Amino acid sequence: MIRCEFADETLMAFADGELDDATAAAIEKAMQSDIASRVALFLETRVQAKEALGPVLDEPVPDRLSQSVQRMIDEARRRSVPSDASERAHVVAFRARDNRAMPRPQASWIMPLAASLVAVVFGCGGYFFGFASQNQPHGLEVAGQDSPLSEALGQVASGEEAVLAGSTDRIRAVATFRDGAGSLCREFEIDSANRSTVISVACHSNHGWAVNFAVVAPARDGGYAPASSSEALDSYLAATGAHEPLSREDEAAALRSLGQ
Amino acid sequence: MIETDPFGKQLVAFLPNLRRFAISLCRSRDLADDLVQAACERALANTERFEPGTRFDAWLFRIVRNLWIDHIRRQRTAGPQEDIEQRQDLVGACGERDVEVRFTLNSVAQAITDLPDDQREIILLVCVEDLSYREAAGVLDIPIGTVMSRLARARKNLAEAVGINPGLPRSPVMKGENRNDKMRVC
Repeated sequence: MIRCEFADETLMAFADGELDDATAAAIEKAMQSDIASRVALFLETRVQAKEALGPVLDEPVPDRLSQSVQRMIDEARRRSVPSDASERAHVVAFRARDNRAMPRPQASWIMPLAASLVAVVFGCGGYFFGFASQNQPHGLEVAGQDSPLSEALGQVASGEEAVLAGSTDRIRAVATFRDGAGSLCREFEIDSANRSTVISVACHSNHGWAVNFAVVAPARDGGYAPASSSEALDSYLAATGAHEPLSREDEAAALRSLGQ
Repeated sequence: MIETDPFGKQLVAFLPNLRRFAISLCRSRDLADDLVQAACERALANTERFEPGTRFDAWLFRIVRNLWIDHIRRQRTAGPQEDIEQRQDLVGACGERDVEVRFTLNSVAQAITDLPDDQREIILLVCVEDLSYREAAGVLDIPIGTVMSRLARARKNLAEAVGINPGLPRSPVMKGENRNDKMRVC
């Protein structure tokens, strides 16, 4: 059933981080799978549109154009008086040309987004476990502290791969870092033999590892493949205030300390 | 360090973005380059009109778009030499469609190209160039509410055209929807 409390414009503004806090909170509260998927549509279209037209930005500007613009700039500079030039020096606070980052997302859209993808993740081997509660933003708990995934998260060094015990699926540890709250987090990918790649971030707390972020990049046969996987991840990392990845030594030390 | 000519420098830095926006507007690289050149000329002649503290690229996009609208208007009143009315495939009444573009762009880019003009430009400004709704409203000279309704419509059309349907199983029922099926939502 489709719920009608929120107009497309409102959900879109939510996805784009343009909504006021009160309405955003209301959406989060009401967020259920159908609304999450509607929001995800706007997240996805934004990312895909940007990605699709990215290559145009990388095309070299034709010489004819850049030369004639440069000529006009030079002429304009000759015409202008020095005092004018100093005034124009204010015009410097521009963003970088290729600003690929999404605008700062609504503070916590990422959890509802992850919720919308839960169903897909469930299909992928049973490493992930349901929500503790809809209202508890602690992510998906990794099934069992001695589960193959938990074990791998505590052991596999970033850059290395391992086969998850009891399956043919491979886990690839990508990076270890601390989030804004100081929790130890790991970015990793899981390839299953006949399915897709799950790109995920799990963070460690007293209760063990919890998956805070997961997107699935399915094979590109017929259906759409979410180009947003990596950009969604970037947005997530930015939104959670993730720090730079730990060095190999620091990572090893941090993982060792978890086991104690 | 004091930059001697930040305006010109920034203009050059934004050329690729201006070109991308212009290509999308008129769907032709040749026309787009002429358009960008004219826009740069106008920008350089009106530097004092730029409001410091606002986005320089938004200001430039506005100039590009206004010039393009002028161009279309002139073509419409200039008589039949371009024969644009007969080119039904050109929603934007643009001079020549760059055929090669159709083959080099992916399906999402193609779907964006195929959107109606007003929907295409707003996707470019907000989704691709990261303007805020307010900034886009300024570029397009429309109320922010119109930005939102148009942008939402554009993205739903885009999603439908390329089969984006995240989070939901792609059932035959979902595939059978069409873009006019507003009743489904509410």
